[in-house]
Amino acid sequence: MAATDGKRKANRAGAEAGALLAAALALPGVMPADALAQSAPDKGIFELQYLSYRDWQPGRNRMTVDAPAFYALIPINDTWVVEGGMVYDAMSGASPLYFNVLSGASIYDYRTAGDVKVTKYFGDYSVSAGAFVSSEQDFLSRGGSVQVQIYSEDRNRTYTLGFAGTNDYINATNGVAPNSRRNSLEFVVGVTQALTANSIIQSNLTYYTGHGYYADPYKPLDTRPTTRNTFAWLTRYNLHFPEPDATLKLGYRLLFDSFGSTSNMVEAAWVQALPWGWSVTPGLRYYTQSAADFYMNPPFPKGFKEGQDYSADTRLAAFGAVTAGIIVGKTLPDGWSVALRADMYRQDPDWRLGGTGSPGIQTFSARWFQLDLTKTF
Amino acid sequence: MRIALLVVLTVALAGCATFEPPKPWERGNLARPEMQFDYDRLDAKTQQHIYTSKEAANGGYGVGGGGCGCN
Repeated sequence: MAATDGKRKANRAGAEAGALLAAALALPGVMPADALAQSAPDKGIFELQYLSYRDWQPGRNRMTVDAPAFYALIPINDTWVVEGGMVYDAMSGASPLYFNVLSGASIYDYRTAGDVKVTKYFGDYSVSAGAFVSSEQDFLSRGGSVQVQIYSEDRNRTYTLGFAGTNDYINATNGVAPNSRRNSLEFVVGVTQALTANSIIQSNLTYYTGHGYYADPYKPLDTRPTTRNTFAWLTRYNLHFPEPDATLKLGYRLLFDSFGSTSNMVEAAWVQALPWGWSVTPGLRYYTQSAADFYMNPPFPKGFKEGQDYSADTRLAAFGAVTAGIIVGKTLPDGWSVALRADMYRQDPDWRLGGTGSPGIQTFSARWFQLDLTKTF
Repeated sequence: MRIALLVVLTVALAGCATFEPPKPWERGNLARPEMQFDYDRLDAKTQQHIYTSKEAANGGYGVGGGGCGCN
């Protein structure tokens, strides 16, 4: 019985690990338009990546994730390009049941995922079609996407229109909400504009609408709305400085969520080229969010009412978060390059801007290292 | 956050103030990898999904992402 209970806990935490962190690598359907990518790339890319991730709260480690991945982009000819990738996430550790109370058992779980996208370039536009799948012990996600990019006559502006549909199947190992599903649609419209010979800006609007099971089956009493709509505005700006051969990258995202949470994110990175093919990129990111309407403060389960939405998931609380990171890169002969990335992340309710943070929850920290080896051919 | 928004908009508008779209022969710097918004797509995906797993906000960087039960 104890073993069974332990396995159940392990499964529960393991599945939640998939929910929490397995996603360490994901599957792209449609990414915003690359600046000035108005014709098929003439070089292929093959990239190997290894991610080592760990997070913790005061006094206790939470999850550890190791995730090897690869990505390839292959020009078939002058107008056709195929790209895709795969990732394998291996996770272990403990995850929260509610607030900062962690599951007792140490667990192990994994996730595998893959995607493929085909792009056809025409004269003044391109069309892409993609498919993606992600599989965990208790979760299967499948979907497809279509994207159209339209280029201005002077090739300094790109319009992007995108659409994706996703079907998720949830079958929690603890028997809560068996064989549940959710379906979602996403729409993106964006524009990328070269402002000068050294600056470019991109702005995208993304609308997501979904229906189905959104609760976390591994969190006691967790009950969430069966519809979710989000609206995001993302603007990014790159400015190159010929002297000292550096690039400033800025980004801002505003996101409204029908769950009641509104978030703001701002990020900045400085890409500094150095002699002998080296580069160094320090970066900072700040994020702040308000709480979801149905998030209730501690103690658990204060505020819970039968038949009403409720969550004690701290990811839906009000908090702020800061990431400090650095990337060190080196180009090598014959099209090879290598990059090592290190990031440190912390969430703190006291760091929320525009209001007070949620009381009674602890800080949450994470760090991750990432090694990328890339070959262009 | 309003300040951050103001900073971003100010920088963007400053760029617009010197809005001189480049001629074809002036695009050398724009073609540099670091001037692309998602040149390293694998890295971009990884970073976005790390954040998706621990914050309420999800998305905005494009559509389609394959799922996880993260949020």
